[in-house]
Amino acid sequence: MTWEAVKWLNHFGILGMNGRNADYIMAMNDRSAFPLVDDKIITKRLAEEFLIPTPRLYHVIEHHGDIRNVEQALGDRREFALKPARGSGGSGIVLITDRSDRGFVKQSGAVISREDFIYHIFDILAGIYSLEGLEDKAIVEALVHPDPLFAAVTYQGVPDIRIIAYRGVPAMAMVRLPTRASDGKANIHRGALGAGIDMAKGETLTAVHGSEIVHVHPDTGNPIAGITIPSWKDMLLTAARGSEMTGLGYLGVDLVIDVAEGPLMLEMNARPGLQIQVANQAGLKGRLMRIDEAPPEIFATPETRVTWAMAAFGTDQRR
Amino acid sequence: MKRRAAVLVAVLLVVLAAVLIAYRVVRLGYPLVPTASIKVWQLSIETILGKNEKNLSLRMGLPVSRGPITVAEERIASGSLTFNLLREGVDHIGIWAGNTPSTGTLVNYRASILVKPVRTFGIRRMDPGAYPVSFQEADQALVSRLAARWQRLPADERIKAAGDALSGAWGQFPLSEQDRISWEELVPRVGRTNALMGLLNAAGVAARVQNGLILMEGVTRTPIRWLLAWDGTRWLHMQPDSGAIYDRSLVFLPLTNDDIPPLAATGAIAPEVRYNLSPQVVSQWIAYFDRLRTPDRILNRWSLFSLPPEFQATFRILLLVPIGALMVCILRNIIGFPTFGIFMPVLMALAFRSTGLGYGLVIFGGVILVGYIMRLLLDKLHLLLVPRLSVVLTLVIGMFAFLAVVGYKLDIRELMSVGLLPFVILTMMIERFFVIVEESGVREGIRNAVGSAAVAAITHLILHIETLQLTFFVYPELLLVLAALQILIGRYTGYRLSEVLRFRALHRNQ
Repeated sequence: MTWEAVKWLNHFGILGMNGRNADYIMAMNDRSAFPLVDDKIITKRLAEEFLIPTPRLYHVIEHHGDIRNVEQALGDRREFALKPARGSGGSGIVLITDRSDRGFVKQSGAVISREDFIYHIFDILAGIYSLEGLEDKAIVEALVHPDPLFAAVTYQGVPDIRIIAYRGVPAMAMVRLPTRASDGKANIHRGALGAGIDMAKGETLTAVHGSEIVHVHPDTGNPIAGITIPSWKDMLLTAARGSEMTGLGYLGVDLVIDVAEGPLMLEMNARPGLQIQVANQAGLKGRLMRIDEAPPEIFATPETRVTWAMAAFGTDQRR
Repeated sequence: MKRRAAVLVAVLLVVLAAVLIAYRVVRLGYPLVPTASIKVWQLSIETILGKNEKNLSLRMGLPVSRGPITVAEERIASGSLTFNLLREGVDHIGIWAGNTPSTGTLVNYRASILVKPVRTFGIRRMDPGAYPVSFQEADQALVSRLAARWQRLPADERIKAAGDALSGAWGQFPLSEQDRISWEELVPRVGRTNALMGLLNAAGVAARVQNGLILMEGVTRTPIRWLLAWDGTRWLHMQPDSGAIYDRSLVFLPLTNDDIPPLAATGAIAPEVRYNLSPQVVSQWIAYFDRLRTPDRILNRWSLFSLPPEFQATFRILLLVPIGALMVCILRNIIGFPTFGIFMPVLMALAFRSTGLGYGLVIFGGVILVGYIMRLLLDKLHLLLVPRLSVVLTLVIGMFAFLAVVGYKLDIRELMSVGLLPFVILTMMIERFFVIVEESGVREGIRNAVGSAAVAAITHLILHIETLQLTFFVYPELLLVLAALQILIGRYTGYRLSEVLRFRALHRNQ
């Protein structure tokens, strides 16, 4: 039975953890390029050079001594996002939507006291949320106001779109939709939904909750499939440019759609997860191998790569 | 390309290891299966002689390599006395003589006793010796008459019948009144041992008396005396007073034969001697290689056995670590267990060696749980990372101390050895557990904790195989094989078993 399942996984081109680490991350991602995506401050700076829009950076807290000046630096901003610069998987992020006498109002409506807020910054600097437990920096950036596009299938929080690009060619994409179970976080491990995206049309497919296929959002009851993402091609272009920007051959690009500013790149990831395959009900390895077999001329510019990917990986040409 | 290089390196490592092992086996005569049923006992005979004794002489029977017994690594401490070794027949008698100083003196004999099963080659005849000297002619006639009735029985049954007869049970061969009276008169006159010897002699069974110890863990003050009776293929050991036959699984260590006392002292009050026997595993190899040692061979000179014993123990443990690491490679990269940290399960598995698996797992779970609760409370205090970890570490040590005391009160050794658990790793694990629970939920936290415990437990069970430990100690070049396997797993890019489950939603919907 197990052997059958393994044969099946292989047949459908499912990429496993070992295969991803050895054949793609280690083979395609130069160690020296990792800091470019592991530190959000560096990523932001690079993105600016490549004309990739990101949420505006308000403030960086580098040293314990700076923490006292945070409130001063915040000025009269009432809403912002506090993040660890080297965090992964959305850990340590606090979204503030307002301020009150008692402190800061979180997106969920809960109030976090000024003291707790400062403590959280201390934790970030100490490296609790950082990738290797190294000392970290905290960043304060503009709060994203999600486009109402996904409002019907989102419980609080900000849905984000993950695109995996291989050798600069977008290979697979999904949108992560927060649920009550995920506490408004777009984290699949915590219970957020992952919905596959048709690469050609930018249209959502069915979603996966845990390991179950679902057709409607568990909290709102609205159907997930059939939502068309505007400016989809732009987002694919952002992912495609990400490879030039970072030099990473195997890259995950996370985007959000801001109601005012349009698509913004949140972060990039040199070790993107494999759950995207479940969301799309398709194997990544098969697509990566097709990219390897593609004619060399398609790799010329981000535009040619995106055009090829949209033609190759639409639902009509599944797998 | 990379894969082929990895396979090539792995093959080279295995070949190199095979060559080294082959050299040891073929040229140096190492055993291929290093644990071929040899047991080693540490024998220590010790006595403290009183102060200011003059012209004292202490004679002790010492073990000799013979039959299944091999004596190695003999060490003698004679204090202020002189020591001489006297060979009487096959026996070795150690004689300590001289005057003791005002502080008294310690006399000590130590040796490693190896027991190897002796192969028996069919039936061998062994003729009975002479009758005990205290036997008169009439006595010889009596025992001959008594034994004649067993003539047609096989040797082992004749031995059993003679033993029974000593305690007055004549079974299916009842005794005439006259003979019974004569026998009951003879036994107290010549002594039970001699009576039994005579009876066995008359029954055509070779028999002799030995003094020595039964190899069992413990301390005794006096050697025992037993009777050997040849049943045609092997010696049976009999209790000389009751005539009962000892269990065949017991191993006897003779110190002296016949009437030579195993312990005698002149010129002093009978000293208190302690015969201490303890089974040992490490020195099994020291002892074994005492005989094999050919120090001109470089691999022998560079063997781990050349280290002093206290360092050997360290290396026995250290050599297990790479095996544990290999287990972690297999369980994480091929099976797909989630664990906190990478090598934490190896350290846990090593610690389980002293706490035992059951207690180890319970302590592990308990410490994580209590640590987590404390960490929850600490969170309210808003401590910075390093001091906060220090508090948790302090707490973990406190829990260890508490468990150790509880273990002492309840007389549970396993709890007392709690201190060997890797406390720093446990502290970091509490923090990791807390962060995972905060960020990815309780389920994810418990999944990781259970995964870690499972990997530690499985690794422990593998490390527990004694054959494996000894094999690695004897052939440290097996480390090359481990490295080869680790390299191969490093290039295993297939699916993990857990991924078959993880992607089952896909499978179901196709």
